[in-house]
Amino acid sequence: MARLNTTCPYCGVGCGVSAQVENDQVIAVSGDRDHPANAGRLCVKGTTLAETLVPRGRLLYPTHRGRREDWDAALALVAGELQRVRQQYGPDAIGFYLSGQLLTEDYYVANKLAKGFLGTANVDTNSRLCMSSAVAAYKRAFGADLVPCSYRDLESCQLLVLVGSNAAWTHPVTYQRIVESKKRNPAKRIVVIDPRRTATCDIADLHLQILPGSDGFLFAGLLNHLVTNGLVDRDYVHACTEGLEAALAAVEDIDQASVAASTGLAAADLAQFYQWFGETEQTVTCYSQGVNQSATGTDKCSAIINCHLATGRLAREGMGPFSITGQPNAMGGREVGGLADQLAAHMNFTPDNIERTGRFWQARDMATGPGLKAVDMFRAAADGKIRFLWIMATNPAVSLPDTALVRRALERCEFVVLSDCSAATDTAAYADLLLPAAGWGEKDGTVTNSERCISRQRRLVTPAGEARPDWWIVSEVAARLGYGEQFSYQGAHEIFAEHARLSAFENGGCRDFDIGALAGLCRSEYDDLPPTVWPVPAGGPPQRPFADGRFYTPGGRARFVPVVPSLPQSPGQAGTAAPPEPLLLNTGRLRDQWHTMTRTGVVPRLMRHRDYFAISLNPLDARSANLAEHELVEVSNAQGSVRGLALLDEDVPAGQVFSPIHWSDQFSGQACVSGLIPAITDPVSGQPQSKYARVSLHRVPTCSWGALFSREKPALPPLLYWSTIAVAGGYLTLLASALEALALRDPLLASLAAPGLRRLEYLDTAAGDVRDLGMHGDQLQYALFLNTDRAALPARDWLAGLGAELGPAAAEGGSCSALLAGVDPAAADVGRLVCTCWEVGEKQVAAAIGAGADSLESLGASLRCGTQCGSCIPELKRCLQLHHKDAAA
Amino acid sequence: MPERLVIVGAGMATAYLLQALAANAAGLDITVIGEEEQACYNRVLLSGLLAGEHREQDLHMLQQDPPAAPATFLTGTRVCSIDRQSRTLATACGRRLAYDQLVIATGASVDRPQLAGTRLPGVRQLRDIDDARQLRAIAGNGGNAVIVGGGLLGLEAAYGLRLLGFATTVVHRRPYLMNRQLDPEGARLLQARLEAMGIEFQLGTSLASLQARQQRLAGVQLDSGASIPCELLLFATGITPNAGLAAQAGLAVKRGVMVDEQMHTSDPRVSALGECSQFGEHCFGLVAPIREQARVLARRLSAQPGPAFRLVDSSTQLKISGIDIYSAGDFDGSGEQLVLRDAAAGIYRRLVLRERRLVGAVLVGDKRGGTWYSELIRNGTDISELRPGLMFGRDISNSLQQAARAA
Repeated sequence: MARLNTTCPYCGVGCGVSAQVENDQVIAVSGDRDHPANAGRLCVKGTTLAETLVPRGRLLYPTHRGRREDWDAALALVAGELQRVRQQYGPDAIGFYLSGQLLTEDYYVANKLAKGFLGTANVDTNSRLCMSSAVAAYKRAFGADLVPCSYRDLESCQLLVLVGSNAAWTHPVTYQRIVESKKRNPAKRIVVIDPRRTATCDIADLHLQILPGSDGFLFAGLLNHLVTNGLVDRDYVHACTEGLEAALAAVEDIDQASVAASTGLAAADLAQFYQWFGETEQTVTCYSQGVNQSATGTDKCSAIINCHLATGRLAREGMGPFSITGQPNAMGGREVGGLADQLAAHMNFTPDNIERTGRFWQARDMATGPGLKAVDMFRAAADGKIRFLWIMATNPAVSLPDTALVRRALERCEFVVLSDCSAATDTAAYADLLLPAAGWGEKDGTVTNSERCISRQRRLVTPAGEARPDWWIVSEVAARLGYGEQFSYQGAHEIFAEHARLSAFENGGCRDFDIGALAGLCRSEYDDLPPTVWPVPAGGPPQRPFADGRFYTPGGRARFVPVVPSLPQSPGQAGTAAPPEPLLLNTGRLRDQWHTMTRTGVVPRLMRHRDYFAISLNPLDARSANLAEHELVEVSNAQGSVRGLALLDEDVPAGQVFSPIHWSDQFSGQACVSGLIPAITDPVSGQPQSKYARVSLHRVPTCSWGALFSREKPALPPLLYWSTIAVAGGYLTLLASALEALALRDPLLASLAAPGLRRLEYLDTAAGDVRDLGMHGDQLQYALFLNTDRAALPARDWLAGLGAELGPAAAEGGSCSALLAGVDPAAADVGRLVCTCWEVGEKQVAAAIGAGADSLESLGASLRCGTQCGSCIPELKRCLQLHHKDAAA
Repeated sequence: MPERLVIVGAGMATAYLLQALAANAAGLDITVIGEEEQACYNRVLLSGLLAGEHREQDLHMLQQDPPAAPATFLTGTRVCSIDRQSRTLATACGRRLAYDQLVIATGASVDRPQLAGTRLPGVRQLRDIDDARQLRAIAGNGGNAVIVGGGLLGLEAAYGLRLLGFATTVVHRRPYLMNRQLDPEGARLLQARLEAMGIEFQLGTSLASLQARQQRLAGVQLDSGASIPCELLLFATGITPNAGLAAQAGLAVKRGVMVDEQMHTSDPRVSALGECSQFGEHCFGLVAPIREQARVLARRLSAQPGPAFRLVDSSTQLKISGIDIYSAGDFDGSGEQLVLRDAAAGIYRRLVLRERRLVGAVLVGDKRGGTWYSELIRNGTDISELRPGLMFGRDISNSLQQAARAA
């Protein structure tokens, strides 16, 4: 047995993970106590990492249009198509769409091939969707993409402003650090700015529930407030910045009254926030997708940075504008230049950088200017301008806005290569060639987290099937194109060393990203590399960046950027006569899911906090649509529609609906919410406005509901709704149909009721109650329950247990017909899982509270809930409050 | 001086009566007169005795548990007349007994069709322990047996004979077996199970004639034209109450001895119960109502009259090991149907609902919940809330109901 340290592949916190490996299998994972990001903590997604290393859903060998291919032929095919398209249509007909899931080394090699040898800068990444507005704003202000904060600042600050960040769910470990710091320092204030009341509001001293997209007004008004009230640090502004006057001119009309009107905030709340910001020196403003994913995201980030520059709260302990990213290696990708508007190693497309990099790479065909950013790249493919696309480790058919456009692009594109771990994704359905990539635990390299800390992701087990590291795949293609010499890497360590050398190459302190000190690492030093925060130039680690007041702008001063805030626009608002859709759609992440669920979707435990695709809406809007909880709701606009279960949620303001982003065609019938999002992007950063669309909603009448357990993902007939989750030993599907139960049964079972199966059925057609089981020997193959009433279907926990070797009832008495009852009289239904770590359900929590538990401590003592990762604590507190409210009523 | 209670007949009804009297027999001097040598055994288990699944002692009903009232038994004794004037009765051996209270529990006899040859050697019945003994004695050589009647008794007998090694064929007049207790689908499933045991069936046909060779049964000819060679023929087409003695005594008798709801016959000092009795238009063949008769009568005889006898639908069970059959109530007519099928396991269950009440149940292959269904039918319980789990028995139904209430 071996214990190996590696890094979590989920969010941008970049926690260290300690894995126990035995017989080429990861037996268990725990938080790495020595990692600076998490000091031993893990969230529930990290805790279940070992459960993602399963064969279920893996792509195991190269597949060319449905046929298995050997690696040599597959690589030759890619090289051949690249060459053909390049010769026929020129280098700009080639596009690479990469991912923040790639390791820095993979990213480096792909970027080098495209920009140095194929002559195209059409290299963009799903990080474009995540933090490109923050990057653009940093570059405008600092002249460099340098995040000037660390997680420690979040702990040591006296005022923390969280903007557009539901950290409790999206960055749980960082959130726990914040919670603990507030516990240690009760004087610390936390302000959460979010249109929704999220779990993060649990620790907020002040929640500013602004109108969607109005953040720009809030910070423009704040700058005005700071200047008007003499709270500007004149010395700092004078010594280290430029452009305050112009920035101020842009906001001089934005007083508190106009901010209140634009944001929908109460004047007192606004005044409170401005007062706190004004009086608190140690202030960190931490922002995430809620700010970035906007048509004015860059300006919003600039508005935030302006306030920090004006007060000189930067580059000191507990201060700064802090962008936290969504992906494990968003920053690593930027370091190598893996965005269309970057060249490499934080160098842009200037002639000297192009020349320098070309010389370093011994390049054959350097790209000479920025390429197409994500949305534009797919638009170009839809227009027939991009004819070859190589997509790595991402699922644009689900995650990019206007997915119909993306799918048209994938369809039209002459050759689509997809390197991925998953066999079945919405994007894979459009790929000509699927290449099996090594996934987390199989690949070897580095990632950089949100606080600029480079950590090793280490190979723990042998890759599944014929999966290979992405850098190997790209290098092999490069070799087949005739660039073998420049891509002759023997391992990730050689790539990292080259990347480090380039960062230092003719740098001399003029570029922020310099890790020259790591350029000489030998293989074993690389293998042992401890978490390292950049910059680390060869001369030794410098002081905290910007602490000397010097920036990477031409004049060395930080720049204020004039920001004229505006509210989001939707297509149709301008120019057409049609009345606007009545509601606003907001999108976001769930606590236990990740991206398009290709990884988390295979872990049964992670499907227990939220299971089936559901859309949250305010009870008032539900009432006007005549919708009850858990009925079927359709949310639509001119661009598309999604259908989900209606969740009535007071935390979503009236007039808004909230949908999680995770669902794809693999997991639900019509749940790809990006399809409703218009492909509007920020003009500077190119980041799409993924959290804003105008929509309408209506109740979808159903005739019958169904719950289906199956061993494999079922092939389903047309339905009003379906949503499939992984459970032990199989899948569970909730479905709804306009057909009567009996008429629905046979089409549903068409692919399941194989000949030779033992069939059991129960029919109460008068009540619309139809149940059907298929057994193979003792083993249940499928179980279908149909009912007019969804509430009459068997409990989810019972259904989720059907995949065990023997059904719970089959074991007793030899009769399986009791399975048709849909209940195990012996097993208690714990309800929806609140604490995923200790598998504590809401019914257990309610029972414990009923039995006298009146605090988190007592709940933890009796049920252990909330004592592991702590991400359920907000919900536990809610349960406690609710109970007290009931008791008081 | 204790009251003299004389019971004519020593069958199951008498056994139940003695059990019901156990606690209140102090003032009674009980005498039981039975024609058979064995008294008070469980006739229902005869097919099991035949099949070798039970021993004779397993059939005895008056053991320690449950306790029974003490009685003097005159076995192997036939009562030939009753003199109601003098309140005495006479036995075939010339003995005379006086009574204060008389109970007639003379049982019933197996019907035989009006065909020539039904007294031939080889034509038998399975009605008492002696029949079972004789049938067991002639077994072992194999041979062919035909049972006429595909009802409860016929099938149980066929099963016993099959286990004894006979090539067994059941002839049944109706198109499906147990037509009074099952529906066609349930019956087909039952038939398949019995066929798997090697029993053969001729359905929708009756016996046309018996064929003899050397004064012995040699075969039967059927309506359908088929003929089946056989050395053994068993009738199980029904029973007739043994009401002759009562009729002779001038008591009111139709098919059986007429009784009222306290088991009085037309003479207040004479009671009747069991298969010999008739209540309204109803004669009895199943155990449950006879037990109830015994309870009612026992309370009256011990001067503690209780609730009157009420006729309720009785359930039926088939006692063939490995085949569960249960049926209760009405399942012929209209109503909402709940059906469970597990063909591979030979399970078919059907429940019939009318106006939120369970009115009928047919259970083949899995009779769990049967008793509960009978109760629900009897009590006319509103099953709306139980409905989702009704098919799966009381425990599951209750837990589903609780879950639904909790939700």
